[in-house]
Amino acid sequence: MIEDDIYRTSSQFRLWSYTEASLKELRAKTNAIASERARTAIRRAPSAQPSATSSAAGTPQPGSDGETKKTEEKAKEIDCLTPEEELVFVRYYCEKTLELGETYKPPLPTMVRATAIQYLRRFYLTNSPMTHHPKSIMACALFLATKTDNYYMSLRQFAEGIPGNTTAEEVISPEFLIMQGLRFTFDVRHPFRGLEGGIMELSAIAQGQAPPAPHLPNQSPQQLLQQIQSIAPPPVACSSIADRIARAHGTTRETLKSAAQMTDAYFLYTPSQIWLSAFLLADRPLAEFYLDTKLGGPLTQTTSTDQSDLQNPLYELRVKLLNVLTECSALLNSYTPLSSDPDQMKGLKRIAKKLFYCQNPEGKGTKRDSAQSQAVAAAAATDSGQVTSESESERLAKKRKLELEQKLKTNGSDIFGPELATGRPKE
Amino acid sequence: MASKDDLDHRDEDEVCPVCKSSRYLNPNMRFLINPECYHKMCESCVDRIFSSGPSNCPVAGCRKTLRKNKFRAQTFEDIGVEREVDIRRRVMHILNRREEEFDSKRAYDDFLEQREEMIANLVSRIDVAKTEAQLQKYASENMQSIRTNQALEEQEASSFQARMTQEQEEARLRRQLAREQLENERREIQASREDMLNRLAAGSSADAAAIAREGHKVLLKKSSARRSEEDRIRQKQAALRSEMKRGAGAGELAGPSDSGLIKGLRKIKTPEPEKPYDPFMGYVPEKRDYYTLQSSYPSTYLDRIRNDTRMAAGGYDLKEYYSRTMLEAFAGLGCFIGEEVSRRDAGAEVKPAATAGAAMAAGGE
Repeated sequence: MIEDDIYRTSSQFRLWSYTEASLKELRAKTNAIASERARTAIRRAPSAQPSATSSAAGTPQPGSDGETKKTEEKAKEIDCLTPEEELVFVRYYCEKTLELGETYKPPLPTMVRATAIQYLRRFYLTNSPMTHHPKSIMACALFLATKTDNYYMSLRQFAEGIPGNTTAEEVISPEFLIMQGLRFTFDVRHPFRGLEGGIMELSAIAQGQAPPAPHLPNQSPQQLLQQIQSIAPPPVACSSIADRIARAHGTTRETLKSAAQMTDAYFLYTPSQIWLSAFLLADRPLAEFYLDTKLGGPLTQTTSTDQSDLQNPLYELRVKLLNVLTECSALLNSYTPLSSDPDQMKGLKRIAKKLFYCQNPEGKGTKRDSAQSQAVAAAAATDSGQVTSESESERLAKKRKLELEQKLKTNGSDIFGPELATGRPKE
Repeated sequence: MASKDDLDHRDEDEVCPVCKSSRYLNPNMRFLINPECYHKMCESCVDRIFSSGPSNCPVAGCRKTLRKNKFRAQTFEDIGVEREVDIRRRVMHILNRREEEFDSKRAYDDFLEQREEMIANLVSRIDVAKTEAQLQKYASENMQSIRTNQALEEQEASSFQARMTQEQEEARLRRQLAREQLENERREIQASREDMLNRLAAGSSADAAAIAREGHKVLLKKSSARRSEEDRIRQKQAALRSEMKRGAGAGELAGPSDSGLIKGLRKIKTPEPEKPYDPFMGYVPEKRDYYTLQSSYPSTYLDRIRNDTRMAAGGYDLKEYYSRTMLEAFAGLGCFIGEEVSRRDAGAEVKPAATAGAAMAAGGE
């Protein structure tokens, strides 16, 4: 299928598609490196107090007993976040991104917000919230998304829209870090436009104007029209077929805006699979009918005894696709917004508190200039397909520190070095 | 001289077998033969018998019909040799394959042997009909290659001729030049000697030795200058010659086709006809597998855009939107990430021998 080959050339498929196992493995690895680093950094920095790292305005405030416990905390093992906790935490900030987009006048387009969310998710595959707090990353990711999605906003205008007094400098500072975490691939393939295409074609079928699919030349517009009128009735009664399509369209769109963004769907499935799964959730008979027009034969009937059906090259594809769509719609269906669930909110508060103690004090210092110094190394790392941004920045921080100490040692206490020699020896 | 005398002597009592007139009576008598039967007769007999059109051979027992225009002078005294040479010439004219047309030396040798065999057959009158038929068949089938090879042969012969004449011309020029040089030299020596004598006659006796030495020096200088001049001319000529040779060697012709009679001919490699240029290398730009793109789709809000002249004026075509949305609706529908990515990762595990070094260099460890 030529469309599939076109999709295979995208960076989303090449760099940002994972199996469930590899996704889990990658997150565990990132978490392990980050927590190791956070522990050593906290131990190494005697003066670095958790209170110095100002907690985010959006996060639930930790208790005031942080100050008193800090001495014995260093003695015992520092309790770091688990990969699952990190994931929940990032998801919370994904939801915050949606809300943040809403605060602008006019609200940022869905596409921009979705791109920002995907940037966040991709960024936190190889970086941990313990190193870079999502609070600062989130705003910058959204700003980056306005640029990559052609929705122009000036930085000042953008910074003003953020609640609290965030300066433009603060918004832009982690930009390079994010780009690096994204491996400089800004293209996100969303399912939204695909949904529009599907709806467009369904409307054409409903009006009897649809041409036959390329592999099924014996379809005729009249036949398709008859079929669409005779499919099983929807869960909610509709006045006409057009109304039914419009309603399914709306429901699907909502699912794509929320569930598809907050789950790992983008990593695990292709955009067309995502929108079709969401469409299956919205109006199952209609979606199945639509797939049948494309792939021939009833989609659900996997154990076909028909000889001609078995020889059909589309048959195998149909069977596989059904499995994938079922998995994907199950994933989308499993999503519930964090803010609507008090239990999850309570868990989130606990995570935020935990993060307050295990936040890497050195991660805060990663400003634009230091990030840029890593660019070359990071570019090389992306080339080899290995993402090592966590270990990389750690290594560089260590190196910088060592160099500084060396300098102090050789030059005595004066940081600017010894006195210059005043007189030149004469001949 | 002796042989010539011999020949003359023998010719003395030569007699025309037809009119019985002898050379003794008619010293200007010429004998002619016709390659049909090779019977010898004198010129006057030929005129007498065949002037009024074809007629039978007057020799007793021979009934061949002869024509006057075929009569010619005899080259060899032996009629058998004359006939063989004729046959050989004819056969060689038809079977005129060249060595470079054969796959191997062996094949060419086989061809030569075959040709000799046919000639021998014709000469000794064995299987004449069969051999003639073969020759005819071959000639009609390979008209083209025969003609090409003839042309080649002629060309070679003429170029050889040209080269020979050119060489002769060059040799003549060289000789002439050498003669002229010698003449010049002689004249100069003469002149300088006269000059010296004049000066000696005019000058005092004390200068005599100096003047003589000087004159000798001048002579030497002149001769060395002349020699270098000659060298230059010779080099120029050599360069000219080599250039001409190169020009002559340039024309070569392509080989012939195989034929039934001759085995082991080199196959002519006709270059494959060039395929029409395909800029997309097999990719059909408008072809899609999941959907057929229509020129318009029913949509209430898109209809507004379609009818808006402001949109059209900017060059925006709604079809662009249609093709993009439809493509995105199905792009990747058949990509099963679970399978393909794990396969890709497995492939990457095997591969990174080359990239490992790069990764290590990047890591700096």
